[in-house]
Amino acid sequence: MVTVERLSYNFGTYWALKDVSFSLKKGEFLFLTGHSGAGKTTLLRLLYGALPVTRGRASVAGYQLNNLRKRDIPQLRRKVGVVFQDFKILSDRTVFDNVAMALEVRGMPRQHLERRVRAIIRAMGLETKSYSICERLSGGEQQRVAIARSMVANPELILADEPTGNLDVDLTMHLMEIFQQFHTYGTSVIMATHSKEVLECVPGARILHLQDGRIVDEASGAEPEPEKEEPASLGEVGL
Amino acid sequence: MIGQFLRLSARGVADLRLHPFAQLLTLVAVAMVTLLTGLILLGLHTVNIELLKSRGQVEFQVYWKTDADAETVVKDWDTIRAMEHLKDFKTFTPDNALTELASTLGETGDFSWLADNNPLPYSGLVSFHVPPEAQDQGWAAGLLTQIKSLPGVDKVHYTPFQADLAQSWRTISHMVIWPVLGFLALIVSLVVHNTIKLSLMTRLDEVEILSLVGARPGYIRWPLLTGGFVQGVLGSGLGIGLLAIVHSFIAEALNFPPFLLEIRFLPPEYLLALAGAVTLVSVLSSWVAVK
Ligand SMILES: Nc1ncnc2c1ncn2[C@@H]1O[C@H](COP(=O)(O)OP(=O)(O)OP(=O)(O)O)[C@@H](O)[C@H]1O
Ligand SMILES: [Mg+2]
Repeated sequence: MVTVERLSYNFGTYWALKDVSFSLKKGEFLFLTGHSGAGKTTLLRLLYGALPVTRGRASVAGYQLNNLRKRDIPQLRRKVGVVFQDFKILSDRTVFDNVAMALEVRGMPRQHLERRVRAIIRAMGLETKSYSICERLSGGEQQRVAIARSMVANPELILADEPTGNLDVDLTMHLMEIFQQFHTYGTSVIMATHSKEVLECVPGARILHLQDGRIVDEASGAEPEPEKEEPASLGEVGL
Repeated sequence: MIGQFLRLSARGVADLRLHPFAQLLTLVAVAMVTLLTGLILLGLHTVNIELLKSRGQVEFQVYWKTDADAETVVKDWDTIRAMEHLKDFKTFTPDNALTELASTLGETGDFSWLADNNPLPYSGLVSFHVPPEAQDQGWAAGLLTQIKSLPGVDKVHYTPFQADLAQSWRTISHMVIWPVLGFLALIVSLVVHNTIKLSLMTRLDEVEILSLVGARPGYIRWPLLTGGFVQGVLGSGLGIGLLAIVHSFIAEALNFPPFLLEIRFLPPEYLLALAGAVTLVSVLSSWVAVK
């Protein structure tokens, strides 16, 4: 799903990423940890084509990011759901509109779209706020809107940058369950986080530890659970 | 495909209500630029017409066939008198042509012996004002053929000098007008471009977010272009409406001695060009603003 080889990135003279290599198979869960400024966001931005790959090689969901053609960028981004650290939701639109946006750009018919949007909003516990303007939501609510938008199109890969930064423990646990449901369904996830609790939430996940732009440690999290017999489904969140 | 196209256009129009105040300001700015440009054009147009009015005339000397009978000739004269832009028409019958000739030659000539067998044809001296809309030399040439084709006319002498004078006046006025129009176009482009660009700044985050969730450039841009188009059409329409109102107040303002200047409204093709230019710039600016 993701292959990164000796990837480096500089802002002017400052090297935010140095020689990063890793790969992620379909259905894997990967955490990125590291101090603030370690380069987590920079790495994720490279992966969804918001920064150009200039040093090293990377491919995501079948797209070579080196010399990625401009018209392929929308295609790449449709395969990847991104939760941005700063949410990037439109504060003057409703929750529904923000989430629906991810499906509208794909040209999904309205009645189909509405059902999915409602389901994911419900899963985020935001059903009473569907038609609230995002500006008037709390930080945690806005964050959930951002998460809902990243998931609604059922992407192959979710890139989540501190998706639980504004949430209390209970809500964090609830949302991690949803991430895990996607994961067990076969979605690959890369999640940047500072939180120990979050790391412990996903059995079998790998953890990349970044420090000053380098990978200094790679570990696996808690022991994987025994394989489930039944094929997992997203029925629980209604997708 | 067409459905998507219509949907995106509708979204562009619907999005105009998202920031009503900003949109209103944009609209007013576009209208004001149109109004100011319109006023300058109005001035230019009036001056141009006035200057051309007093310049240029074309003169034709017309000779009728010697065998043409009086009835045909008089009919031709009437036709000429009915022609547009006629300034003056002097007519000579063979008799008074002879008298005229005699008086010009003074005592030395006595042509009374010719009176019974007058060799002179009917003739006339026609002069026309060069009208403002006579953009090309073809106008005088057209008159020439028109006069030549009259049934009794034999030949026409045409004094190109004066027509050329009118023509060169036109050339000079064009030399002045085109740079002024170019300058105006530049100003309109800059002001409208910046206005539209500013109004789109409020939507740059939307452009960014749409792109991040995988929207194609066309999907992002088309609604903005539609919005720019609507702004351009409404803004220039409003500006021209205001221009018409202003004109109705000032039309007769200078129409007293010694000016006697009637301010004429711009012809429709000028108005169309003005509105078209403003709209085009609005659309183009919406396009570049999100590059
Ligand atoms: N646009 C930029 N221009 C210059 N430097 C930048 C830019 N973006 C990031 N950086 C620098 O790159 C380094 C890595 O930033 P990055 O955002 O990837 O950190 P992070 O690991 O996501 O941190 P945090 O945990 O605080 O979100 C930082 O030192 C940051 O200052
Ligand atoms: Mg970050």
